[in-house]
Amino acid sequence: MIIAGVDIGNSTTEVALARIVNNRPVFIASGMAKTTGIKGTVDNVLGIRLALENAAKKAKIDMKEIKLLRLNEATPVISDVAMEAITETVITESTMIGHNPSTPGGVGLGVGITTPIFDISSKKPGEKVIPVIPKNVDFEDAARIINDAISKGVDVQGAIVQKDDGVLISNRLIKKIPIVDEVSLIEKVPLNMPACIEVAEPGFTIKTLSNPYGIASVFNLTPEETKNIVPVARALIGNRSAVVIKTPQGDVKERKIPAGKIKLKGKNGTLVVDLEEGADKVMQALEQVWPLIDVEGTPSTNVGGLIARVKEVMGQVTYQDMREIKIQDILAVDILVPQKVMGGIANEFFTEDAVAVAAMVRSSKLPMEKIAEKVEKELNIPVEVTGIEANMAILGALTTPGSDVPVAVLDLGGGSTDAAFMNRKREVVSIHMAGAGEMVNMIIAAELGLSDRQLAEDIKRYPAAKVESLFSIRMEDGTVRFFEKPLEPETFARVCLLKEGNLVPLPPDLQLEKVREVRRKAKQKVFVSNAVRALSKVAPSGNLRLIDFVIMVGGSALDFEIPEMISEALAGYGIVAGRGEIRGCEGPRNAVATGLVLSGWEGAI
Amino acid sequence: MINTEMIVEEVVKEVLKRLAGEKETVAKDHKDMKPAGRELILEEIGEAKAGTTGEEVVIGISPAFGIKFKENITGIPLADILREIMAGIAEEGLNARVIRVRHTADVAFIGHTAAKLSGSGVGIGLQSRGTAVIHHKDLQPLNNLELFPQCPVLTLDTYRAIGKNAALYAKGESPTPVPVMNDQMARPKYQAKAAVMHNFETQYVKPGMKPVELKVSFSKGGAS
Repeated sequence: MIIAGVDIGNSTTEVALARIVNNRPVFIASGMAKTTGIKGTVDNVLGIRLALENAAKKAKIDMKEIKLLRLNEATPVISDVAMEAITETVITESTMIGHNPSTPGGVGLGVGITTPIFDISSKKPGEKVIPVIPKNVDFEDAARIINDAISKGVDVQGAIVQKDDGVLISNRLIKKIPIVDEVSLIEKVPLNMPACIEVAEPGFTIKTLSNPYGIASVFNLTPEETKNIVPVARALIGNRSAVVIKTPQGDVKERKIPAGKIKLKGKNGTLVVDLEEGADKVMQALEQVWPLIDVEGTPSTNVGGLIARVKEVMGQVTYQDMREIKIQDILAVDILVPQKVMGGIANEFFTEDAVAVAAMVRSSKLPMEKIAEKVEKELNIPVEVTGIEANMAILGALTTPGSDVPVAVLDLGGGSTDAAFMNRKREVVSIHMAGAGEMVNMIIAAELGLSDRQLAEDIKRYPAAKVESLFSIRMEDGTVRFFEKPLEPETFARVCLLKEGNLVPLPPDLQLEKVREVRRKAKQKVFVSNAVRALSKVAPSGNLRLIDFVIMVGGSALDFEIPEMISEALAGYGIVAGRGEIRGCEGPRNAVATGLVLSGWEGAI
Repeated sequence: MINTEMIVEEVVKEVLKRLAGEKETVAKDHKDMKPAGRELILEEIGEAKAGTTGEEVVIGISPAFGIKFKENITGIPLADILREIMAGIAEEGLNARVIRVRHTADVAFIGHTAAKLSGSGVGIGLQSRGTAVIHHKDLQPLNNLELFPQCPVLTLDTYRAIGKNAALYAKGESPTPVPVMNDQMARPKYQAKAAVMHNFETQYVKPGMKPVELKVSFSKGGAS
């Protein structure tokens, strides 16, 4: 007789097949398929069938030989993620050009009056001017006009150029002046106004214009005016070149977007946190009121919409009124997102603060009976719905060689991070935390400015490398790998992902260091903090140090760096943590499905 | 692996710009100052040698470039085309070296020959009719880094961008490939002229001749 354990997860459906020999299960194969539809709905049946077929094929048996299907009582948790920016920068009256053209011309600091290039020859000797050069002026002509003016004694202090001509003009001038180019909306540059241009040497950043007192001394500002210029200076920090133009009404503002307040109702009271205060504040408040009963957002704000959406989806899945849906956990993470500056004149991008939120909902019960019924009808296999997911995961995880009770299992999934702890008496406590793989994807996509979710998923899963020549790549850890045949030309000079032996080029503006840093930070913020959060909730008397062994299972435990990150963090608490090796051969996959089979045969473990 | 949203946005912007009748703000009351009639002077200064510094991009021009032809297929002066490519390279802080390839008129082989002689390994191939390619010495001749096969749609801005991208490749940076338009009518409209031009081009091919180094200068025929 052959039985099958079936585990429906948020993203994959896993199957373990076992033949019962002498009343003991002997595993013969495992199978996997993508979960179809939202976990816990009848849409899952197709995924179950595919996973079973996959396993049956591997075991070389017929589907009809499967005599019993054990389905887990899927934990009715659904999570959703969303992100909202909480600051934005607005430039009014175009007082500032804070962009980073790749090749500005010259070096130094220049102060003068913005003047159209055609008018500078009519200026008096000694007048300090900054010519503004639109794109219909050729670089040779521009250089000639400036040179003529300089020889007439006009003090040309710098130049603002529309085309990418900075170096070309600079090379032809008789005097070195700082030149900022690629100012695309040059017609918005206010004319006949005092302006200051600064260009730093390659590899350095500007010093005067990024310093409020620097700007104050250039324009002779009063203390009151200096106060107002602070956002300008702040916005220019880290640039290699910049222009600041003093106009009567000009201003740069950093504005906080009313993202809304979040109301955390817990057993230990209720706290209201403004999302503007950042993710840390939200998480602190959450700890204070834990365990959570429900979360509400201010209606008609960003956070309100986010929470309403999670509840609505959950309501549809479970056929319940969305007012009865309660949020059981949230994870808030601070992130930085590149946003185009409103009112900028050179298409500047600034990094703005944002908060990413994952929310998790628990309903009374998922309609597992409905799924069971449908599977029985469609596949003609009797189905048993049994077992709590967490207990099954522990049973499965314990097939890892070298493991024993008491043990904690961390299930790192796509939607949620789950933890379960089994003590010596084989009693199990479990918890589900919002935020896992999907949240990491969202953070990577947001921070790198990607709209392609699949690309974000790939960045999460594969290490990056830079193609240095057509025969060699430099991996992100600095080692070089050589190839015998030339690489594909589209990967040349690009940052690529090492995806299953292939090089997948990333968009050209992504830097290797940046990709690596964003990826690792996202994983740290989500998985490491969630692992600690989840384990301390299931640990005996809430003390992490009382856990000795942690087995990591689930799809995200397959990641090439997440288990190491968690192991490292947990080592600080004296915990031995490692990736599970289910049945000694499955890696961290298939724990629940294996547990389901085992739990059906008493004395099997 | 394309950021579709951004590309769509860019395309929409471009289309809107054109619909607006190219009403780009030109500085007031001053007409276009582009000096016309710049003449291309190409002086042969001996056999082209392989470059030794990585700070250069070699531009390979076809056998009849500047000899039989002074303009490309749409009438853009070849002097301006070469000048823009060289400006694009110079703007990135690299040196441009120009050679004439005499043994072939095929743009891929011209580009590859230039790349092999380039200290950085990056070269540009340029035909009289305007077709261009960015090549790398380690690639197969018929492969390329970027190819611009439709010469009628290339503008001086495109040539500037080609020079810039070649320089960026030489520096080991990863540039966004130069965006080019695609004109369905280019082929029927220009195919005959392209064939004739190529025919002339091949008449200037001298099999077995080594590429020759050129000194490039632009006379300003009474420029403004």
